[in-house]
Amino acid sequence: MTSRSLHEMTVESGTAARLLVCGGERCQEAAGARVATTLSVELARRGLKRIEVSTRGCGGFCSAAPIVVVQPRGLVYARVRPQDVPELIDQTLVRDGVLERLVWRDPPDVQSLVELRDTPFFAKQHRIALANCGVIDPESIEEYIAKDGYQGLRKALVEMSALDVIREMKDSGLRGRGGAGFLTGAKWEFCRKASGDPKYVVCNADEGDPGAFMDRSILESDPHAVIEGMAIAGYAIGAKQGYIYCREEYPLAIARLLEAMEQAREYGVLGEGILGTGFSFDIALKEGAGAFVCGEETALLASIEGRRGEPRPRPPFPVVSGLWSQPTNINNVKSYAMAARILLRGAKAFASVGTPKSPGTAIFALTGKIENTGLVEVPMGIPLGDIVFDIGGGLPRGKHFKAVQTGGPLGGCLPATSLNTPVDFDSLQEAGAVMGSGGMIVVDDDTCMVEFARYFLTFAAAESCGKCVPCRVGGQRLLEVLGRIGDGQGKREDLETIAYLSEHMTGSSLCGLGQRTAGPVLSALRFFKQEFLTHIDHGICPSGQCKKLVRARCINTCPAGVDTPAYLALVAEGRFAEGLEIHRQRNPFPMICGRACPAFCETKCRRAEIDEAIAIRQIKRFMADHEHGEPWMAPPIGSPEERAWASKRKVAVVGAGPAGLTAGLRLAQMGYRVTVFERLPTPGGMMTWAIPAYRLPRELTFAEIDNIRHAGVEIRCNVELGRDFTVDSLLGEGWSAVVLAIGAHKSRRMGIAGERLAGVMNGLDFLRAVADDPDHPAPEYDLRNKRVGVVGGGDVAIDSARTALRMGAREVHVMYRRAGDDMPATHLPEEIEGALHEGVHIHTLVNPVEVLGKDRVTGVRLQRQGLGDFDGSARRKPVAQESDSYTLNLDALIPAIGQTPDPAALDAAGVKYDARGATVEVDESMSTNRPGVFAAGDAVSGPATIVQAVAAGNQVAVVVDQWVRTGQLARPRFVTERRDVACGHRLEDFAEAHRPESRRLPVDQRQCNFKEVELGFDERTARFEARRCLRCDLEWLDLMQLPRPTAAPADAATEETPATSQGGAA
Amino acid sequence: MPVLQAPDDLLNLREELRRREAAFARSTTIITVGAGTCGIAAGAREVLTAFEKSLAKHHIDAVLRTVGCIGFCAKEPLLDIRQGGGGQVFYGNVSPDMVERIVVEHVMKGHVVREWALGRLGADDAPDRSRA
Repeated sequence: MTSRSLHEMTVESGTAARLLVCGGERCQEAAGARVATTLSVELARRGLKRIEVSTRGCGGFCSAAPIVVVQPRGLVYARVRPQDVPELIDQTLVRDGVLERLVWRDPPDVQSLVELRDTPFFAKQHRIALANCGVIDPESIEEYIAKDGYQGLRKALVEMSALDVIREMKDSGLRGRGGAGFLTGAKWEFCRKASGDPKYVVCNADEGDPGAFMDRSILESDPHAVIEGMAIAGYAIGAKQGYIYCREEYPLAIARLLEAMEQAREYGVLGEGILGTGFSFDIALKEGAGAFVCGEETALLASIEGRRGEPRPRPPFPVVSGLWSQPTNINNVKSYAMAARILLRGAKAFASVGTPKSPGTAIFALTGKIENTGLVEVPMGIPLGDIVFDIGGGLPRGKHFKAVQTGGPLGGCLPATSLNTPVDFDSLQEAGAVMGSGGMIVVDDDTCMVEFARYFLTFAAAESCGKCVPCRVGGQRLLEVLGRIGDGQGKREDLETIAYLSEHMTGSSLCGLGQRTAGPVLSALRFFKQEFLTHIDHGICPSGQCKKLVRARCINTCPAGVDTPAYLALVAEGRFAEGLEIHRQRNPFPMICGRACPAFCETKCRRAEIDEAIAIRQIKRFMADHEHGEPWMAPPIGSPEERAWASKRKVAVVGAGPAGLTAGLRLAQMGYRVTVFERLPTPGGMMTWAIPAYRLPRELTFAEIDNIRHAGVEIRCNVELGRDFTVDSLLGEGWSAVVLAIGAHKSRRMGIAGERLAGVMNGLDFLRAVADDPDHPAPEYDLRNKRVGVVGGGDVAIDSARTALRMGAREVHVMYRRAGDDMPATHLPEEIEGALHEGVHIHTLVNPVEVLGKDRVTGVRLQRQGLGDFDGSARRKPVAQESDSYTLNLDALIPAIGQTPDPAALDAAGVKYDARGATVEVDESMSTNRPGVFAAGDAVSGPATIVQAVAAGNQVAVVVDQWVRTGQLARPRFVTERRDVACGHRLEDFAEAHRPESRRLPVDQRQCNFKEVELGFDERTARFEARRCLRCDLEWLDLMQLPRPTAAPADAATEETPATSQGGAA
Repeated sequence: MPVLQAPDDLLNLREELRRREAAFARSTTIITVGAGTCGIAAGAREVLTAFEKSLAKHHIDAVLRTVGCIGFCAKEPLLDIRQGGGGQVFYGNVSPDMVERIVVEHVMKGHVVREWALGRLGADDAPDRSRA
């Protein structure tokens, strides 16, 4: 690699000044040569002899040519013309001043760039050990010296005694950056006091953690800092010899270290009689073979001595008996680099950064699912979330923070609730993780914590040196247990086994490797126990990572468990009716979900890791629309005998939303006589009454509900629980069971003054009124030519805003208290995008504090919100800026800040519910406190999605069936047949294909009507797009050693597929 | 004999080097390429070669130097350009085929290639990219 040092060009002695003039071809044209000549002539005329004029090669910035550089002052003049020469000489050389008008400055477009120091990545960092990294040429000792290099050592040798140096180190409070955090100054003192000669200084550069590269980077970028720090330590403890133990996997670090040591000897800062003083110190480099255990200090020393790298019991500690049984001081690379800076700038400067108990800075290697992977140095005590979200830039778009692993494979993970933890030795330990050497791995919700823990455990178990039993055997046993859990074969007792093994490994292993091997497992278990239990109890991996449990991530993540790859494969071949049948097996609303589903499947699609996720929702929509109008006969579930038995039993469902209708459908398929009671005039719940027609035309919803009627479900509208009937009356009149699926239709109140003024209407009430009759709204919902405000950031808020525009509102303002990226409606980004396109104004980080007006609303007073600490969802909490409010003038205000089930209805039903959220309390079997009364959908979960309600409907039907038959409660497992569909095309042919955009209605055609905005795919597009599917389901068959289907569809095999990935509403 | 014979020699050398560095930096264009393992793995060597070729082609005698890692590994290969002692302009994720345009537009004409530029570090304490 060619590179040049900054110190090649010097002014020869004996010359007072030198004028360099561009001699490039361009500059010749631009009169560079004439300027040079004029300069020479003018200098000669004035008799200025010790000033030399020379031309030089083109140095770039030709737009400023010809350039005259005045050395040694380093003045740069641009666009110099011959006529400027006399003035230039006068000002610069005669008066020793500056000719301002010709001075070269950064052009405006450089000045207008973002100042990187002000960006979060740099602004929140504080660089002490990394100060030179990426700044100086690591192969040039002169660049290091120009940056105060070796001044710390000089100061120690000239101005301080060895004891002074130790005191300075103790005063700085520096704690060992290798991870254990022992006071470095105290260690030096122990070593100085230990008897024995010679003594040794050792640098532990055996950085072996996956995802950690702090030490490597310092060695590669600023090797002299480590050499200087070691020499200072040598002076302090009385050692003449140092060793750097660096793994041979770091060839560049080793090469640069060796080069740096050579230069240091040449310059007299290493070797005999450093800087002419009596202190001698030299360093040798020992390459390690890369065994992780050699990062443990006693194993490391053994390895330097040429013995097998195995730890030994301590005490004696190396400071007393280390290398060749002599007193030995071992520190990490970062500690030495910091020691050099501490001596240079003083203990006080160092201790003024960070926290009292952990002074200074911490260095982290940020990796994993994070925007700015890299190396950062932060003041100790900075909140963990600031590192992840400000410096790290957060997670790549669309992914949610799940956990961060600190301290590498022997560390621990911390969940979202720990994001406010200050990052220092003690706080991290308290929170359940460790500082360790400084790896920081961020994971998103695609990461399974069982698998994550297993990954680290595999590493640690493989790296066990085998010397002591607890580590050697314990690690393997732990690994077996975790493997079992990840394969869905785990038992509840396994959690006790983990605790038992961990306790003994921690207590009786010889070194830190064995003592901390269980760390990641224990922390994962502590913060994500539910995830372990879901694997154990249900054989489900919610994140979709445990291969054996996950047929395909799209199926796994779909709450209803729809077999996506199978119907995509059928769509690809134009077999739409067959595909639809597979869909309806688990979700009877393909037309609806083809339009209004957040498509969880697409967020987990593996194809997105290559280019874009498959457009599953659009394909589904095309498939369903294609068969629109074809009657569907829901197939029977169960044997004829079972159905005959069931046909003599009645089941009541309260609420005709997606949960109630699905439950009714499944029970009808099982043979039961089902009646669904609905309070509103038409069925469908939120599908009919909340989702506006431009997103979901009502006739399509009614068509899919008609299919459910055809299956035998009776739907009675305009009957209300509590008014027209009660749960008691149903149970008394011969109904065998009751399913409460009343949804969450009660709007939350804002709780501020003026909320009851005329012109204030709840989002759901507004949407319902419009859905009822968009052409003739009641006067209070007539928004023509009005200024409308909407409060909230969820789907109801965005739906209300876009509906208000369609109802003729003049202006629509959405007010949301958090940052825009945190809007819950972002699970359908096209909704927010659509709103903005249509002209909705979105105000973020504002909170209404008062509705203004005498009898009608005239406006709202908004308080600006700042961003504070993190809440449990990894979002920053809005914090009111007390004095900062403003008024927005409005004619109508639509609060849409959340909904709950109606407590009055639940009281009438006589079931227990949560006091705060008014959600029904159910057990694992979806049973309420009343025998025979079950609950499902939003009434249990709070506001959720259609597909989640469908999943709950499937499950509750299974439970009800069991209960009616046996009087027993069952686990809600909705089992359907798996149908494997062969791949009819070559996947390679679709490797380059990209996801197509769906057509949309132009914005100017959306005004004052409720025409559907999204127009979907045509047949060619849908079938082509379906072929991009990577068919993960077929790979799973291979993994499980099951036969792949042949071109003709194979016989269906039965598979136990639980209905949801998360236990759903249970 | 070692270059530095006494403690004061180190002080004198530092001053001398600082003077030289500042003067030199002002007189030319300095292109600094991050070449830690992260940079090299991402293609820093290929970028350096492309710069050598392009500068030679245009007869530009700019300084091409390498440093270690500034920590912004996600943006490697990362480089900065500093002209006449001014601020450093950073370009991230640079590939060899971007180099010719950077040389012609930025090095020669002094126009930042805005769509590729990450930002600048102002000249106040340049070339020190640190805050410490």
